[in-house]
Amino acid sequence: MEDAAVEEAEVSGAGEFAPALVAAHPLGNSVAVAVGPELRVFDLKGGCAVSLSDDSGGCSHSDAIRAISFSADGALFASAGDDKLVKIWKTDSWRCIQTITSEKRVSAVAISKDGLYVTFADKFGVIWLVTVGEHGGGQVSSDNKPVSLYGHYCSIITSMKFSPDGRFIATADRDFKIRVTSFPKNPIKGAPEIQSFCLGHTEFVSSIAFTSHSGGSSFLLSGGGDSSVCTYSF
Amino acid sequence: MTRTSGANGGGQQGSGKLPRKRFYRARAHSNPLSDSHFPIPIAPDDVDLSQHYPRYFPADKGEHGDGDGDAEAPRIRFADVGCGFGGLLVGLSPLFPDKLMIGMELRDKVTEYVKERVLALRASNPGQYDNISVVRTNSMKYIPNYFGKAQLSKMFFLFPDPHFKEKNHRRRVISMHLLDEYAYVMEVGGIIYTITDVEELGIWMRTCLEKHPLFQAVPEEEIKVDPVVKLLSSATEEGQKVARNGGQTFQAIFRRIAMSPLSDDASSLYSHVLVI
Repeated sequence: MEDAAVEEAEVSGAGEFAPALVAAHPLGNSVAVAVGPELRVFDLKGGCAVSLSDDSGGCSHSDAIRAISFSADGALFASAGDDKLVKIWKTDSWRCIQTITSEKRVSAVAISKDGLYVTFADKFGVIWLVTVGEHGGGQVSSDNKPVSLYGHYCSIITSMKFSPDGRFIATADRDFKIRVTSFPKNPIKGAPEIQSFCLGHTEFVSSIAFTSHSGGSSFLLSGGGDSSVCTYSF
Repeated sequence: MTRTSGANGGGQQGSGKLPRKRFYRARAHSNPLSDSHFPIPIAPDDVDLSQHYPRYFPADKGEHGDGDGDAEAPRIRFADVGCGFGGLLVGLSPLFPDKLMIGMELRDKVTEYVKERVLALRASNPGQYDNISVVRTNSMKYIPNYFGKAQLSKMFFLFPDPHFKEKNHRRRVISMHLLDEYAYVMEVGGIIYTITDVEELGIWMRTCLEKHPLFQAVPEEEIKVDPVVKLLSSATEEGQKVARNGGQTFQAIFRRIAMSPLSDDASSLYSHVLVI
């Protein structure tokens, strides 16, 4: 019914022209670029392209990659997209160590500060969490099913970031909203405590970023379709 | 005084004549997933309280609290989510004359009816019903636009749409995810009232509230002495219809609590002690 209509509208328009994505290793070791389903990594230290190894039988992604992210320390990298797969890579060997299946297409991905968890958002606005674990050959593990953390009701998550101290996770959506949620020590049980809503955009929010001050408090910056950049203290 | 709220429902303003439901017919169901085009406030501070509660907020363009000596402007404290034809608000208004309350309704015509009803009641009962109002909005998407953190002390969900099919369960107004948002806009100690005549939905709502770490069941002794509880089944058109047909109702009344520091099930015992 209405849900099917929403799905069709998304497939017809945006499917062919997924925007290229770029992410830089936090220590400057490498740069990753996603073009459609292809993931390309360039080793800045070695000055050469990296070939990715994926033992889960097949090339990296079978459909457009919609989100990529390095972990804060650069040890891990996550990629996800329209093929409903979330792949976690180790950046020293660029080997895919884990592949998670999502029920719906994925629009955003992030890795927690301690590198223990990967969160991803599906097209219904639900944020899911998986524990990072190395499984032989990057096969999907049945005892590591994603758990639902929270959701932006029926909205598409456009950007997802963890705060520098790892205490919060911020998610922005196409309905002008940013939600900052307390990221608990034991997130498997969910993340029900909202720290604040950062409101002010009059159009979709396209990207968010935390500032990291060594001594002071952290701020959240956001940019959106209303051509404005907002700063929030949360 | 005339309200320039843009209500184009009819020329009965000020005459105290109640609106006739037959001119505001609407289907019982409305699709909460469709992107309706009604204005929404960007943030809670943008909610124009002078439009809704003119007696409390004379709509002059001066600074807030200028010359009035009021320490703080009053804020909305009760929200009726899916208020329908406004029966609950009308019943609550005299019980809490100093509290501002708002109804949220998705259907256009029904919202217009409630607007007219409130205006008519204010006209024929001077000094009363100034504390209730209605807004047309999708509360499943926009509650954080209307209310700030810990603003509400009561939230009401009366006879919500059951969405029987399993694939539509995610459209239910009470769900684990949406309870996060309701908990955010409610103060600790605030109370959420739910009622339905559909047993399966009653079990669903109660289960969600029981599972959610930020809500805890209100004990029976308290429910018995709460003057609001009677209104849940008697004040609204839906409730009266259920009573007429001799149907059973299922209530779940829970209190918003602070997050317990303990993470296992034993925490519910301790959090009851912490919240007096």
